[in-house]
Amino acid sequence: MPIELLVQALLNGFGLAVVYVLVALGLTLIFSILEVINFAHGEFYMLGGFAAYYLFAVGGLNYFATLVLAVLLVGLAGVVAERLVFRHLRGKTLNAFIVSLGLLWVLQATAQLSFGVLDKSVPSAVSGIVRVGGVIVSRERLFVILTAVALITGLYLFLKFTRTGQAMRAVAQDTDAAALQGVNIELASALGFGIGCALAGAAGALLAPIFAVSPTMGALPVVKAFIIIIVGGMGSLPGAVLGGLLLGAVEGVGTLFMSSAAVNILGFLMVIAILLLRPRGLLGAA
Amino acid sequence: MLLELRDVSKRFGGLQAVAAVSMTVTAGTIHGLIGPNGAGKSTVFNLITGVLPVTSGEIRFKGERISTLRPSEICRRGIARTFQATTLFREFTVLDNVMAASHLGAERGFVRTLLATAAYRVREAAALARARDVLGAVRLLDAAGLRAGALPHRDQRALSLAMVLATGADLVILDEPLAGLTTQESEDAMKALRALRAGGKTILLVEHDMRAVMGLCDVITVLDHGVRIAEGMPRDIQANPAVIEAYLGAEDTRA
Amino acid sequence: MPPELRRVDGWIGFGLLLAAGVAVPLLTHDSYHLDVATVTLRNLLLTMSLRYVMSTGQLNMAHVSFMGIAAYASALLVTRAGWSFWAALPVAPLLAALAAVPVGRVALRVSGPYYFLISFAFLEVLRLVFNNFFVDYLGGPSGLVEIPPAHPLPLTGGAVTFTSKLAQYWLMLVLFLASAAVLIRLEFSRFGLVNGAIRQGELLAETLGVNVPRYKLGAFVLGAFFAGVAGVFFAHSQRVLHSSDFGLEPMVLLVAFTVMGGVGSVWGPVVGTLVLAVASELLRELHHYEILVYGLVLMVVMLFFPDGLVALPGRVARWFGRGRAKDGASTLGAGLAP
Repeated sequence: MPIELLVQALLNGFGLAVVYVLVALGLTLIFSILEVINFAHGEFYMLGGFAAYYLFAVGGLNYFATLVLAVLLVGLAGVVAERLVFRHLRGKTLNAFIVSLGLLWVLQATAQLSFGVLDKSVPSAVSGIVRVGGVIVSRERLFVILTAVALITGLYLFLKFTRTGQAMRAVAQDTDAAALQGVNIELASALGFGIGCALAGAAGALLAPIFAVSPTMGALPVVKAFIIIIVGGMGSLPGAVLGGLLLGAVEGVGTLFMSSAAVNILGFLMVIAILLLRPRGLLGAA
Repeated sequence: MLLELRDVSKRFGGLQAVAAVSMTVTAGTIHGLIGPNGAGKSTVFNLITGVLPVTSGEIRFKGERISTLRPSEICRRGIARTFQATTLFREFTVLDNVMAASHLGAERGFVRTLLATAAYRVREAAALARARDVLGAVRLLDAAGLRAGALPHRDQRALSLAMVLATGADLVILDEPLAGLTTQESEDAMKALRALRAGGKTILLVEHDMRAVMGLCDVITVLDHGVRIAEGMPRDIQANPAVIEAYLGAEDTRA
Repeated sequence: MPPELRRVDGWIGFGLLLAAGVAVPLLTHDSYHLDVATVTLRNLLLTMSLRYVMSTGQLNMAHVSFMGIAAYASALLVTRAGWSFWAALPVAPLLAALAAVPVGRVALRVSGPYYFLISFAFLEVLRLVFNNFFVDYLGGPSGLVEIPPAHPLPLTGGAVTFTSKLAQYWLMLVLFLASAAVLIRLEFSRFGLVNGAIRQGELLAETLGVNVPRYKLGAFVLGAFFAGVAGVFFAHSQRVLHSSDFGLEPMVLLVAFTVMGGVGSVWGPVVGTLVLAVASELLRELHHYEILVYGLVLMVVMLFFPDGLVALPGRVARWFGRGRAKDGASTLGAGLAP
């Protein structure tokens, strides 16, 4: 097997996985701060893709501006969802799950009614390829990877070094203790949810030119996000990155040997292995 | 000697919460555990009741080693506790709260339950009787049908105590039983605790109300920064310079 | 409510279910209506058993997987091993319950939203197994077909066959009532009490002597057993099994029906399932609008009735009877708000 083919496959796998990591990070951030399962998370991914479609493909706006706007708009949508709906459900995992299911249906149905059921494509924003040795990477994919990495790094820096970020981490660790120390729980909650959704929206906008945009596009990334969280470690942000890298590698190499349907199973086989050997995930807290 | 702690330590990562604490609680006494905030009192309670595992040392109850048991096992052997923040089954009625406690989570008897055999009915009736007795003792019998979450604070505390009593525990561990009570209510509570002692129960409590502690307890253990600094009768504790130092040093933070 | 009174509740409720169940075939022999009724009963069995698991606080997303395990097991026992339906009927759910033990144990190692994730992972993995593995036995993506209906039962005056909608309805009704009897009995016993206690406060329950993991596992396994009963009926009435029958979509609907009705009461799923079954029939024509309405209803109900629809009468009563105690206990004074 020529090494270039392997590297190519890995790169392709990573390129996708790093975007799924964005979705996973958003999901786990919301899990940890609000203790809520946002089953509608994939719909925010979809909203990001739609934003890209309407702003870039239809509106002709510059792609970079589109990305920024998409992230902001979806983040704002997240904050609205939290303020109107999810703040009342903090800690009530079960009820929040059902409400998010309802939200999913509402968003899905609205999207299908206004957008139609068919896929629509978004033109590539960045064209051309880059050649390194025998490996070919499209500039577009490279751009996606770099932007995703930048967002992940930005999130890490934000959570580690800013006061707001640290406050959010405190709430994720122990909400009551954080409240006693004067942390503004409402702010942490709204921001956490908003950022979580913004990450999903970014992922949707980034992948829009590569895959088509459709109302159901959020289903698959969310499943991948679940896999990443389980493998990498529940509640662990570095775990999400690690899980994503593993998934990317496994799926990337997998496509060399089997059909895409079979490749989907690989992710779940990883999940079974982790559940049998180490249920809390690779980097999950005990 | 009902309960014995031998060199019990608890470490959380880098933080030593409890360091080589030894303590004995004698049956039929009211034993107080005091110390400034952060002294490790709640941690000791959590260690005794199995909520937290000990890092080192041993805890023995009626001669048996309980430091490695899970909380439900420890409860079955006769130790029950209340929590600082009153914890109840809020959706349940007062009666159901106590019934839940008086069943002691007995697991056997699935088929007997399904068929509602005589044995099952006898046990149910006994649990109900115990629940009514205990509610009567804390004077909540009239409130039996009310939702626990709707009770006023002092009744919620009474309910917690009732649940602890319903387990039939020999050693009753109370975390700040007098917090938030008026002077009169405190007096009533103290009378109730003395009555429990008279009835054969052993009580281990944490309390910040020094007057109550001195008036109520037969023995007092004093902790500071996770270490036992004194143990003895109230009179001796009050005069103990180390104790006075500990309290003056860590500004008494009674709310 | 004192335990003695609650048991009467249980009998009355069961009686109502029995009466309603028996009334249906007396009121209609229309094939379509009977089918809807049968499916509703099957869903009721699923939601009531799911609710039993969830009453301990476990948001179990793998419930339909156990339905699937029993369904495939029964189909295979009958078609490959030559068993009679009546022999497979008790055995297949037992197999599902057995499978639930390791799954439940693993899931119990994590909590909250992560328990949901793990059980969801099991759901997907099992669905993928049903869809892609052991194709010779399970049928692969095209499904397992030609499953025979329940074998004829010899009774006085000739054998009863189970090919007609009416016969299937009666079979489902009997299965449902037997299962509901067990679930209701348990609910109004100390098992139900302890389950509810665990849901409201695990740590408190544990320190009061309840071995929480053991109880949770017990509820999980029992729930799986009854899901299995529904699965066996499903296999021999639909007569075709496909992996999508045991995937995310049906599971999510079950959870919605159950929670909307209310997890705190054994009647919650009854309310939820019936309400949504009726709504489904009424909204049938509206396609996307149907889903939109469902979504809104779900959100509104859960936001305003966090304890589910079954708590509605209680809330209304409290609203009208402010400050008054219930069930014969004497008034305690104006200081008590409901």
